[in-house]
Amino acid sequence: MRTNDAISGLILIAASLFMIYLTLDFPDFPGQKYGPALFPRILGAALILCGGILIVRGLSARRVGGPWVELADWTRDPRRLASFVMLPVLILIYILTSDQIGFIPLAFGILLLLFLWFGTRVVLAVPIAAIATWVMYWFFAVMLRVPLPRGILNNIL
Amino acid sequence: MKRLSRRQVLAAGAAAGAASAFGLRPALAQSDYPTRPITLICPWGAGGGTDATARIIAALLEKDLGQPVNVVNRTGGSGVVGHSAIATAQPDGYTLGIITVEITMMHHQGLTELGPKDYTPLALMNEDPPGIQVKADSPYKTVVELMDAIKSKPAGTFKASGTGQGGIWHLALVGWLMAMGLKPDHVPWVPSNGAAPAMQDLAAGGVDIVTCSVPEAKAMIDAGKARSLAVMAPRRNEAFPDVPTLKEAAGIDYSTGAWRGIAAPKGLPAEIASKLTASLKKAYESKEFKDFMTARGFGMVWGDGDEFAKYMDESDAKMAAAMTAAGLAKKA
Amino acid sequence: MSNAILQAFSLVFDPYVLWVCLASAVFGMFVGAMPGLTATMATALLVPVTFFMDPVPAIGAIVTATAMAIFAGDIPAAMMRIPGTPASAAYADESYLMGRKGLIDRALGANLVFSAVGGLFGVAILIVAAPMLAEVALNFSSFEYFWLAGLGLTCATFIAQADPLKGFISLLLGLAIATIGIDPAAGHPRFTFGSVELLQGISFIPAMIGLFAISELLRGVVTIGQAGEMLVQQVGNVFRGIGSVWRKYWRNFLRGSLIGTGIGALPGAGADIAAWISYAVSKRFSKEPEKYGTGHLEGIVEATSANNASVGAAWIPALVFGIPGDSITAIVIGVLYMKNMNPGPSVFLQNPQLIYAVFTIFILANLLMLPIGWTAIKLAKLTLRTPRNILLPIILLFCIVGAFAMTNSVYGIIIMLCLGILGWLLEENGFPIGPVILGMVLGELFEQNFMTSMIKSDGSLLAFFERPIAGTLGVLTLALWAYMLTRNLWKRQPAPQG
Repeated sequence: MRTNDAISGLILIAASLFMIYLTLDFPDFPGQKYGPALFPRILGAALILCGGILIVRGLSARRVGGPWVELADWTRDPRRLASFVMLPVLILIYILTSDQIGFIPLAFGILLLLFLWFGTRVVLAVPIAAIATWVMYWFFAVMLRVPLPRGILNNIL
Repeated sequence: MKRLSRRQVLAAGAAAGAASAFGLRPALAQSDYPTRPITLICPWGAGGGTDATARIIAALLEKDLGQPVNVVNRTGGSGVVGHSAIATAQPDGYTLGIITVEITMMHHQGLTELGPKDYTPLALMNEDPPGIQVKADSPYKTVVELMDAIKSKPAGTFKASGTGQGGIWHLALVGWLMAMGLKPDHVPWVPSNGAAPAMQDLAAGGVDIVTCSVPEAKAMIDAGKARSLAVMAPRRNEAFPDVPTLKEAAGIDYSTGAWRGIAAPKGLPAEIASKLTASLKKAYESKEFKDFMTARGFGMVWGDGDEFAKYMDESDAKMAAAMTAAGLAKKA
Repeated sequence: MSNAILQAFSLVFDPYVLWVCLASAVFGMFVGAMPGLTATMATALLVPVTFFMDPVPAIGAIVTATAMAIFAGDIPAAMMRIPGTPASAAYADESYLMGRKGLIDRALGANLVFSAVGGLFGVAILIVAAPMLAEVALNFSSFEYFWLAGLGLTCATFIAQADPLKGFISLLLGLAIATIGIDPAAGHPRFTFGSVELLQGISFIPAMIGLFAISELLRGVVTIGQAGEMLVQQVGNVFRGIGSVWRKYWRNFLRGSLIGTGIGALPGAGADIAAWISYAVSKRFSKEPEKYGTGHLEGIVEATSANNASVGAAWIPALVFGIPGDSITAIVIGVLYMKNMNPGPSVFLQNPQLIYAVFTIFILANLLMLPIGWTAIKLAKLTLRTPRNILLPIILLFCIVGAFAMTNSVYGIIIMLCLGILGWLLEENGFPIGPVILGMVLGELFEQNFMTSMIKSDGSLLAFFERPIAGTLGVLTLALWAYMLTRNLWKRQPAPQG
């Protein structure tokens, strides 16, 4: 998704203004005229300046016929669009449910789903998903002691 | 007889299975705790003194309890993140944490609502008093000379450092200045990212005084780059017998300190708490722990759950006073 | 002295010690190659094990594991665009692009060989000049660190590729992201919206995984099932052609190792900053800077030498003064104390055989890196033969676990997801990602040292130039800016492309 520089510039300026607005209630150091607000404000000012230049550039590109927003070819293919959306959604599901469900069932489920979606045969997908999940769990949780969520495992073991 | 007991075991197993299916785990957990790995949360990063202390305690607990004890670093936010991770965990004995003096300070600053009351204290294991360090070639040979110079020169001549703004060593400086009868900002505080960078800055000539603990200053002192003039403690440190206390050297009776202890989330069943405290006591008395603490120069102090709770309350009151005086406390 | 060296040899070349070193080498190689697990984490995980060892095997375990981990971070960087450790982030893009061109063997071979010789260079300096260098490094106060960070940020403008404006915006974004969390000077929470997790700031490694790997996955999934998806990999020897690389780029190796050693010796600046600065320097002085960012070997050689050289150099202040050069040596010092080998000038007099043993292990570790690294690359390359419809989901899970491992909570995964989408949007619109990462690395160092210096000098900017080293660094930085600005004004005529 390629947007015209003018739009990027506008977004930058809006975000910087919001950032500077948030710094308004930061306290100064006791007895000094500056504090935690100084650095973000400098950054904000610089970003606004850069955003301005981007807008100018974007508008001149527009005058020679550049589009506002340009979508890549794949966005018109529903299947590929679904693949694209699926990744963030799966990560989001992991974030929301990993504590209750636990790493092993979730990882296995995510892998299996993606394998099948991308056209791996079932006879291959199931064992690979199982082995990959187990290896990752063993390495990170058992050997390196990363506290991967146990979820429903807590009630079994 | 044997067959009977085996049937009992089976029945118990089935009951346990049913209980767990209905979410009745704590009842089971208490009788044969611990049955699975324990997590020990450390609010400070790998490599620091608190992390090292947590790791040796974890190793000793693991030996005693027979289940793995994993140290998990939840760092950042000046300790807020880790401390709240401990307080908000399930009080089932499978999540413990090493809590530090900051828990009695952060809530005065308005960084968090959490205070000592949000934990089940298990054991106090360590306390380190601050020292007063100057550069090796500083003209002040004793703490009295330094204090006279601070008093006679205008405010702001000397700069001190040791930790972040409003950190424990900042409060130590404030307390010391007030005990001298000076204003809390007579010596301005230069915030640093911990004691090590502050000592480095002292050696490089960037600041004049560092009020971190003596073990934290040890490396620079041993390297001949800095000197410790006094400790703000009731007793001298065994590892540094030549450094006098503030009271001996200057007649000022002021002491404070950073401490570390083990705690669990509030509401831990008493049975598990006493089992853990007993196990921690064994760890505290072990040779490995003693060797570790003396090697690092860390002060050893023991307090069981109740003593630890009382100790934290006193510490909390002291911090409140110092922080209000320094203008660091948000209206509590 | 020769007696002590002999003693050191007999301490090191003991079957048990060698076995420990070998095991830790394999361990370090794995940890380094796993995203989300850093060399520091490898060391922290080793500490409980070393409690029960004699001093020499204990130190040996840590030295070998860290040396391996810093190299191993290059492997996933080249193969999957996931830097295994922050030290590999500076040239992750470059080596990944080489891989896409089918030059993965060349990229990894150079990473391996120059990591090993860079490491040896750092050790050589450690042996020869430790006390002298440490003395210099100790004179750095916040003023010098401020200028050092400023110099690093200036380098970012060197790195900026086709579009300097967008590169600069990326850098500002990185710096702005770094301000989230408790501010380094006053302890005031910024942009946290009352969230406890945000108080810790945007954790660097999950952010890196998101910006590099997730954005790449997002681009990758839409091409699965398309023609020409399998990359043709040359089946070759990673060591082939290294001789000619060496002849062509030995100057880069020397300069990278020198910069790495210098930065490594500074307390508080480690392998990651060394890699960034040397990569930028390499581009600045290259005869063909236009090739950078397209999969060009020159910068990789320089930066990979630098980050491994800094590993040994970080031990300089650690051994001479007991002052850690980075977070790894901070842990090492703790272990040394445990073993009654209190670091400091006296350890050279009291226990010279132990010091020589440390040196010997360092040399051994860097030599051991060649065969073990070769094996690791061989094993890792198997993954590239895997069809992408199987590889991509596994990489995704790998990213999730890696991001989780860094913060030990789903917070890391949230950061990874958000910055992954941000990274994808940025790259789609021609904003480079490298400067964002650099801004995040240097942001806190820069701001903290600026604020501390301001407080120390009561707001006087003159103080930034009063100390000799600070003054030199400051004038150098300002001169670079002046040079770049005037040069750009000079070249103003050809308007920048839109």
